[in-house]
Amino acid sequence: METSLIATLGLLALGVIGGITFKALQGKGHRVSTKEIIDLGKLKASNNGLPTTEYGKKATLVQFSTSYCGQCPGVKRTLSQLEYRLGGLRFAEVDITERLDVAAHFNISQTPTVFLLDQNGHLIYRMGGVPKMNQLMEELEKLGVK
Amino acid sequence: MTEIKRIDPRGPRFGAGITSVLSLASFALSFQFGFIAGYPLMVALFLLFAWSVFSPKTHPYQLIFQKLVRPRLKEPTELEDPRPPQFAQKVGFSFAILGTLGGLVISALIPIAAAFIFIAAFLNAFFGFCLGCQMYLGLRRFGIIR
Repeated sequence: METSLIATLGLLALGVIGGITFKALQGKGHRVSTKEIIDLGKLKASNNGLPTTEYGKKATLVQFSTSYCGQCPGVKRTLSQLEYRLGGLRFAEVDITERLDVAAHFNISQTPTVFLLDQNGHLIYRMGGVPKMNQLMEELEKLGVK
Repeated sequence: MTEIKRIDPRGPRFGAGITSVLSLASFALSFQFGFIAGYPLMVALFLLFAWSVFSPKTHPYQLIFQKLVRPRLKEPTELEDPRPPQFAQKVGFSFAILGTLGGLVISALIPIAAAFIFIAAFLNAFFGFCLGCQMYLGLRRFGIIR
Protein backbone atom coordinates (compact mmCIF):
# COMPACT_ATOMS: atom_id res chain seq x y z
CA MET A 1 0.00 0.00 0.00
CA GLU A 2 2.65 2.46 1.06
CA THR A 3 4.96 2.19 -1.94
CA SER A 4 2.12 2.70 -4.38
CA LEU A 5 0.84 5.68 -2.42
CA ILE A 6 4.30 7.22 -2.27
CA ALA A 7 4.93 6.55 -5.98
CA THR A 8 1.57 8.04 -6.96
CA LEU A 9 2.00 11.12 -4.79
CA GLY A 10 5.55 11.43 -6.12
CA LEU A 11 4.30 11.44 -9.69
CA LEU A 12 1.64 14.00 -8.79
CA ALA A 13 4.29 16.19 -7.13
CA LEU A 14 6.47 15.91 -10.22
CA GLY A 15 3.59 17.21 -12.32
CA VAL A 16 3.00 20.15 -9.97
CA ILE A 17 6.71 21.02 -9.84
CA GLY A 18 6.92 20.79 -13.64
CA GLY A 19 3.92 23.10 -13.99
CA ILE A 20 5.27 25.68 -11.54
CA THR A 21 8.67 25.62 -13.26
CA PHE A 22 6.98 26.14 -16.59
CA LYS A 23 4.97 29.09 -15.26
CA ALA A 24 8.13 30.65 -13.85
CA LEU A 25 10.18 30.22 -17.04
CA GLN A 26 7.42 31.06 -19.50
CA GLY A 27 7.94 34.49 -21.03
CA LYS A 28 11.04 35.18 -18.95
CA GLY A 29 13.39 37.32 -20.96
CA HIS A 30 17.13 37.46 -21.23
CA ARG A 31 19.69 39.87 -22.63
CA VAL A 32 21.31 39.14 -25.95
CA SER A 33 24.93 40.14 -26.31
CA THR A 34 25.45 39.59 -30.05
CA LYS A 35 23.77 42.93 -30.91
CA GLU A 36 22.63 41.56 -34.25
CA ILE A 37 20.81 44.10 -36.42
CA ILE A 38 17.31 42.89 -37.22
CA ASP A 39 16.32 43.83 -40.77
CA LEU A 40 12.54 44.21 -40.66
CA GLY A 41 12.28 44.45 -44.45
CA LYS A 42 14.14 41.21 -44.97
CA LEU A 43 11.99 39.51 -42.34
CA LYS A 44 8.84 40.79 -44.09
CA ALA A 45 7.63 42.22 -40.81
CA SER A 46 4.18 43.75 -40.69
CA ASN A 47 2.18 46.09 -38.52
CA ASN A 48 -1.62 45.92 -38.74
CA GLY A 49 -1.27 43.87 -41.89
CA LEU A 50 0.96 46.42 -43.64
CA PRO A 51 4.66 45.86 -44.30
CA THR A 52 6.92 47.85 -42.02
CA THR A 53 10.66 48.50 -42.15
CA GLU A 54 11.13 51.39 -39.74
CA TYR A 55 12.39 51.10 -36.21
CA GLY A 56 10.75 52.96 -33.35
CA LYS A 57 12.45 56.19 -32.27
CA LYS A 58 13.48 54.57 -29.02
CA ALA A 59 12.68 50.87 -29.29
CA THR A 60 11.00 48.23 -31.43
CA LEU A 61 9.22 45.05 -30.40
CA VAL A 62 9.23 42.23 -32.94
CA GLN A 63 6.85 39.34 -32.34
CA PHE A 64 7.41 36.03 -34.13
CA SER A 65 4.13 34.16 -34.58
CA THR A 66 2.79 31.06 -36.27
CA SER A 67 -0.74 30.41 -37.48
CA TYR A 68 -1.05 27.41 -35.14
CA CYS A 69 -0.01 29.40 -32.08
CA GLY A 70 -2.87 29.76 -29.60
CA GLN A 71 -1.48 32.62 -27.57
CA CYS A 72 -0.03 34.73 -30.38
CA PRO A 73 -3.15 36.83 -31.17
CA GLY A 74 -3.56 37.83 -27.52
CA VAL A 75 0.08 38.84 -27.16
CA LYS A 76 -0.13 40.77 -30.42
CA ARG A 77 -3.10 42.74 -29.09
CA THR A 78 -1.29 43.57 -25.85
CA LEU A 79 1.88 44.70 -27.62
CA SER A 80 -0.04 46.74 -30.19
CA GLN A 81 -1.78 48.55 -27.35
CA LEU A 82 1.62 49.21 -25.81
CA GLU A 83 2.81 50.75 -29.08
CA TYR A 84 -0.25 52.98 -29.10
CA ARG A 85 0.16 54.00 -25.46
CA LEU A 86 3.91 54.59 -25.26
CA GLY A 87 5.91 57.12 -27.23
CA GLY A 88 8.87 56.06 -29.36
CA LEU A 89 7.87 52.40 -29.46
CA ARG A 90 7.07 50.47 -32.62
CA PHE A 91 5.56 47.05 -32.93
CA ALA A 92 6.13 44.60 -35.78
CA GLU A 93 5.05 41.03 -36.31
CA VAL A 94 6.73 38.28 -38.34
CA ASP A 95 4.83 35.15 -39.34
CA ILE A 96 7.22 32.20 -39.37
CA THR A 97 4.67 29.42 -39.98
CA GLU A 98 6.27 28.50 -43.29
CA ARG A 99 9.63 30.10 -42.64
CA LEU A 100 11.52 27.57 -40.62
CA ASP A 101 14.79 29.05 -41.88
CA VAL A 102 14.01 32.24 -39.94
CA ALA A 103 13.17 30.19 -36.84
CA ALA A 104 16.43 28.29 -37.22
CA HIS A 105 18.49 31.44 -37.78
CA PHE A 106 17.25 33.05 -34.55
CA ASN A 107 17.02 29.75 -32.73
CA ILE A 108 13.30 30.20 -32.07
CA SER A 109 11.71 27.04 -30.70
CA GLN A 110 8.35 28.39 -29.57
CA THR A 111 5.87 31.07 -30.54
CA PRO A 112 5.25 33.73 -29.56
CA THR A 113 8.86 34.82 -29.24
CA VAL A 114 9.36 38.55 -28.77
CA PHE A 115 12.53 40.51 -29.59
CA LEU A 116 13.31 43.93 -28.17
CA LEU A 117 15.41 46.13 -30.44
CA ASP A 118 17.11 49.41 -29.52
CA GLN A 119 16.70 52.57 -31.63
CA ASN A 120 19.23 51.31 -34.19
CA GLY A 121 17.57 47.94 -34.62
CA HIS A 122 20.05 45.95 -32.55
CA LEU A 123 18.58 42.92 -30.85
CA ILE A 124 19.22 43.41 -27.13
CA TYR A 125 16.59 41.34 -25.31
CA ARG A 126 14.37 38.37 -26.13
CA MET A 127 11.48 36.54 -24.52
CA GLY A 128 10.16 33.07 -25.37
CA GLY A 129 6.47 32.47 -24.70
CA VAL A 130 3.95 34.98 -23.41
CA PRO A 131 6.10 37.89 -22.18
CA LYS A 132 6.10 38.81 -18.51
CA MET A 133 4.81 42.35 -18.73
CA ASN A 134 6.53 43.84 -15.68
CA GLN A 135 9.87 42.59 -16.98
CA LEU A 136 9.18 43.94 -20.43
CA MET A 137 8.18 47.34 -19.06
CA GLU A 138 11.44 47.52 -17.09
CA GLU A 139 13.46 46.82 -20.21
CA LEU A 140 11.49 49.39 -22.19
CA GLU A 141 12.09 52.00 -19.52
CA LYS A 142 15.83 51.41 -19.77
CA LEU A 143 15.55 52.43 -23.42
CA GLY A 144 13.65 55.57 -22.49
CA VAL A 145 10.21 54.34 -23.52
CA LYS A 146 7.58 55.46 -21.05
CA MET B 1 -3.68 26.97 -48.00
CA THR B 2 -6.83 25.17 -46.90
CA GLU B 3 -9.00 26.77 -44.28
CA ILE B 4 -8.58 25.08 -40.93
CA LYS B 5 -11.41 25.27 -38.45
CA ARG B 6 -10.15 26.75 -35.23
CA ILE B 7 -11.19 25.18 -31.96
CA ASP B 8 -11.95 26.19 -28.40
CA PRO B 9 -8.64 25.58 -26.55
CA ARG B 10 -10.54 24.42 -23.46
CA GLY B 11 -11.77 21.34 -25.36
CA PRO B 12 -8.36 19.63 -25.44
CA ARG B 13 -7.68 20.75 -21.86
CA PHE B 14 -10.92 19.19 -20.69
CA GLY B 15 -9.95 15.91 -22.38
CA ALA B 16 -6.48 16.13 -20.86
CA GLY B 17 -8.09 16.39 -17.41
CA ILE B 18 -9.85 13.05 -17.88
CA THR B 19 -6.71 11.52 -19.40
CA SER B 20 -4.63 12.61 -16.42
CA VAL B 21 -7.05 10.93 -14.00
CA LEU B 22 -7.07 7.68 -16.03
CA SER B 23 -3.30 7.56 -16.41
CA LEU B 24 -2.70 8.33 -12.74
CA ALA B 25 -5.14 5.54 -11.81
CA SER B 26 -3.35 3.13 -14.17
CA PHE B 27 -0.05 4.08 -12.59
CA ALA B 28 -1.36 3.66 -9.02
CA LEU B 29 -3.02 0.30 -9.77
CA SER B 30 0.11 -1.16 -11.32
CA PHE B 31 2.11 -0.19 -8.27
CA GLN B 32 -0.50 -1.52 -5.88
CA PHE B 33 -1.35 -4.87 -7.46
CA GLY B 34 1.51 -5.59 -9.81
CA PHE B 35 2.21 -3.92 -13.11
CA ILE B 36 -0.42 -5.85 -15.06
CA ALA B 37 -3.22 -4.36 -12.90
CA GLY B 38 -2.71 -1.07 -14.68
CA TYR B 39 -3.16 -2.75 -18.03
CA PRO B 40 -6.94 -2.41 -18.58
CA LEU B 41 -6.77 1.35 -18.09
CA MET B 42 -3.73 1.53 -20.38
CA VAL B 43 -5.75 -0.22 -23.07
CA ALA B 44 -8.57 2.26 -22.47
CA LEU B 45 -6.09 5.15 -22.91
CA PHE B 46 -4.76 3.51 -26.05
CA LEU B 47 -8.27 3.32 -27.52
CA LEU B 48 -9.13 6.88 -26.53
CA PHE B 49 -5.91 8.25 -28.00
CA ALA B 50 -6.42 6.21 -31.18
CA TRP B 51 -9.92 7.63 -31.44
CA SER B 52 -8.72 11.23 -31.14
CA VAL B 53 -5.91 10.65 -33.63
CA PHE B 54 -8.14 9.08 -36.27
CA SER B 55 -11.48 10.79 -35.69
CA PRO B 56 -11.16 13.76 -33.31
CA LYS B 57 -14.62 15.14 -34.16
CA THR B 58 -16.50 12.07 -32.94
CA HIS B 59 -14.42 11.61 -29.79
CA PRO B 60 -16.50 11.21 -26.62
CA TYR B 61 -14.48 13.86 -24.73
CA GLN B 62 -15.22 16.27 -27.51
CA LEU B 63 -18.95 15.47 -27.45
CA ILE B 64 -19.16 15.80 -23.66
CA PHE B 65 -17.32 19.10 -23.86
CA GLN B 66 -19.57 20.44 -26.63
CA LYS B 67 -22.86 19.30 -25.09
CA LEU B 68 -22.30 19.68 -21.35
CA VAL B 69 -19.27 21.81 -20.56
CA ARG B 70 -18.99 24.52 -23.17
CA PRO B 71 -22.58 25.83 -22.74
CA ARG B 72 -21.71 26.54 -19.10
CA LEU B 73 -18.52 28.43 -19.88
CA LYS B 74 -18.05 31.97 -21.13
CA GLU B 75 -17.21 32.52 -24.77
CA PRO B 76 -13.57 31.72 -25.36
CA THR B 77 -11.35 34.81 -25.72
CA GLU B 78 -9.28 33.04 -28.33
CA LEU B 79 -9.72 30.12 -30.67
CA GLU B 80 -6.72 28.03 -31.57
CA ASP B 81 -5.37 26.00 -34.41
CA PRO B 82 -6.16 22.30 -33.87
CA ARG B 83 -2.87 21.02 -35.33
CA PRO B 84 -0.61 21.33 -32.26
CA PRO B 85 -3.12 19.64 -29.88
CA GLN B 86 -3.69 16.93 -32.49
CA PHE B 87 0.03 16.44 -32.71
CA ALA B 88 0.11 16.22 -28.91
CA GLN B 89 -2.53 13.47 -29.12
CA LYS B 90 -0.21 11.55 -31.43
CA VAL B 91 2.59 11.86 -28.88
CA GLY B 92 0.19 10.52 -26.24
CA PHE B 93 -0.85 7.77 -28.61
CA SER B 94 2.80 6.72 -29.07
CA PHE B 95 3.19 6.34 -25.32
CA ALA B 96 -0.07 4.39 -25.12
CA ILE B 97 1.23 2.04 -27.83
CA LEU B 98 4.41 1.62 -25.79
CA GLY B 99 2.36 0.78 -22.69
CA THR B 100 -0.11 -1.49 -24.45
CA LEU B 101 2.19 -3.50 -26.74
CA GLY B 102 5.46 -3.08 -24.85
CA GLY B 103 3.62 -3.79 -21.59
CA LEU B 104 2.80 -7.30 -22.76
CA VAL B 105 6.52 -8.08 -23.01
CA ILE B 106 7.95 -5.94 -20.22
CA SER B 107 5.22 -5.17 -17.72
CA ALA B 108 7.21 -2.29 -16.18
CA LEU B 109 6.48 -0.34 -19.36
CA ILE B 110 2.85 0.01 -18.22
CA PRO B 111 3.53 2.35 -15.27
CA ILE B 112 6.33 4.07 -17.21
CA ALA B 113 4.01 4.90 -20.12
CA ALA B 114 1.26 5.87 -17.67
CA ALA B 115 3.65 8.25 -15.90
CA PHE B 116 4.63 10.02 -19.14
CA ILE B 117 1.02 10.31 -20.26
CA PHE B 118 0.05 11.63 -16.83
CA ILE B 119 2.74 14.35 -16.77
CA ALA B 120 1.88 15.60 -20.25
CA ALA B 121 -1.89 15.53 -19.65
CA PHE B 122 -1.62 17.05 -16.17
CA LEU B 123 0.50 19.97 -17.38
CA ASN B 124 -1.97 20.63 -20.13
CA ALA B 125 -5.11 20.39 -18.01
CA PHE B 126 -3.97 22.28 -14.91
CA PHE B 127 -1.27 24.62 -16.15
CA GLY B 128 -2.35 25.18 -19.74
CA PHE B 129 1.04 23.96 -20.86
CA CYS B 130 0.79 21.72 -23.91
CA LEU B 131 4.03 19.76 -24.11
CA GLY B 132 3.34 18.47 -27.61
CA CYS B 133 2.40 21.96 -28.86
CA GLN B 134 5.55 23.39 -27.34
CA MET B 135 7.65 20.83 -29.18
CA TYR B 136 5.78 21.39 -32.47
CA LEU B 137 7.83 24.26 -33.91
CA GLY B 138 11.11 22.82 -32.67
CA LEU B 139 10.39 19.40 -34.19
CA ARG B 140 9.34 20.97 -37.47
CA ARG B 141 12.56 22.95 -37.50
CA PHE B 142 14.60 19.79 -37.21
CA GLY B 143 12.55 18.14 -39.91
CA ILE B 144 11.17 15.46 -37.60
CA ILE B 145 7.59 16.37 -38.49
CA ARG B 146 6.18 18.39 -41.34
